[in-house]
Amino acid sequence: MAANIKEVKAKDFNVERSAEEDRELSFKDESCVGCGVCETICPVGAIKLGSVGAIVRNDIDESKIEIDEEKCVLCGMCSVGCPVDALEFTVDGTPISEIETYPKLISSAEIDDDTCIYCKACERACPREAITVARQLPDRSKLVTGEIDIDKETCIDCGICEEMCPADAITIDQKGPEDFDIAVDKDKCVYCLVCKKACPVDAIMAACRTCSYGEYDLDPKDAEVTGKALIDDDACVRCGWCEEVCPVDAAKVEKPFEGELNLDLDKCTTCGACVDVCPCDVLFFPKSSAPATLDDKLMKDEQFCIYCGACENVCPVEAIDVKRTGIKCTPTKSKSWQKSIDSLKTN
Amino acid sequence: MELKVNQDNCLGCGVCVVACPVNVSISPEVSGGHGSKTTETIMMVENGVIKLFSEDKCTKCGTCQVFCPTDAIWLE
Repeated sequence: MAANIKEVKAKDFNVERSAEEDRELSFKDESCVGCGVCETICPVGAIKLGSVGAIVRNDIDESKIEIDEEKCVLCGMCSVGCPVDALEFTVDGTPISEIETYPKLISSAEIDDDTCIYCKACERACPREAITVARQLPDRSKLVTGEIDIDKETCIDCGICEEMCPADAITIDQKGPEDFDIAVDKDKCVYCLVCKKACPVDAIMAACRTCSYGEYDLDPKDAEVTGKALIDDDACVRCGWCEEVCPVDAAKVEKPFEGELNLDLDKCTTCGACVDVCPCDVLFFPKSSAPATLDDKLMKDEQFCIYCGACENVCPVEAIDVKRTGIKCTPTKSKSWQKSIDSLKTN
Repeated sequence: MELKVNQDNCLGCGVCVVACPVNVSISPEVSGGHGSKTTETIMMVENGVIKLFSEDKCTKCGTCQVFCPTDAIWLE
């Protein structure tokens, strides 16, 4: 009989079985949000969710889920149900997400490079730090036009212009007590004329051509920012923050689950476990809106909720109820698989 | 994994007793800083140090450990 082999690397693990097909389940703790969907969907009860609250607060150093390799039948259902791709199941080296006969959750997050203006709003908002915006800024010298010259004969080497220049374009090279060189870097100078106004001996002649003649000798193309926005699929949880904050609608997110998130504020004791565990920055404690006013204990931005249920599992006093009403999944011919997937819905 | 205490480190401040969300749901008066009226809570300060009463009720959320100033209560 073929036996399962478990290999544990730090908090990650692999469970393998070699028979006619090589079947392997790999768990990535870093991607896992501790939602417990795998525990719910596992048909043989081989997966056990850890104490996720204590783990995300770094109280204990443990893996977010445990698997009993003796019980695991290497069916791959947990991998299909995992909304954040923390569990990958492969058959003969091919992930089942690429095998058509297996169902797959439908979810995606994309940033359209043609529309993106590389403002980095999504990078700042992403609760998983999954977005990197790499951008090339235009040359500053191509956005301004003007002239500047320093008359070294008049200059008294006071250093005021060097100290005041906001663009760090002026450098004085002090060679001896009365021997110096002064130079303006025209790639840096923006012709703001601060140096000219501050010079005590009027040694600086400068003019901004943009102010006096307009911008006719500037090419708008030179002002364009180019770049690329990248989403790390392992870290992304499809919460939709990027889509919400994007000023040009370049980000599009499709979530795998539909549902509702209900908070019972009478039960809530504001321990903050849910706030710490939520992978989507949905839950937060409100700041008092004015002195001596009492706001709700706990608030939610439900539009970013992925209905994973991690908060409900971690709440010590059952103050949170996550309902999953819809599972977006590609069709499967297997009725038992469809039944398992539907079991993720809550009534 | 279980909840542990080290009475030698404990200051008896009772912050864990107040912070514990389960304690508050069992005995609401502890949230006001009063002692519990029952021994049904997970932990209480007794004779100036922390003592575990019903550790089986702990849901391992880690809130007590976050607030304890002296690492006298922790999950292990």
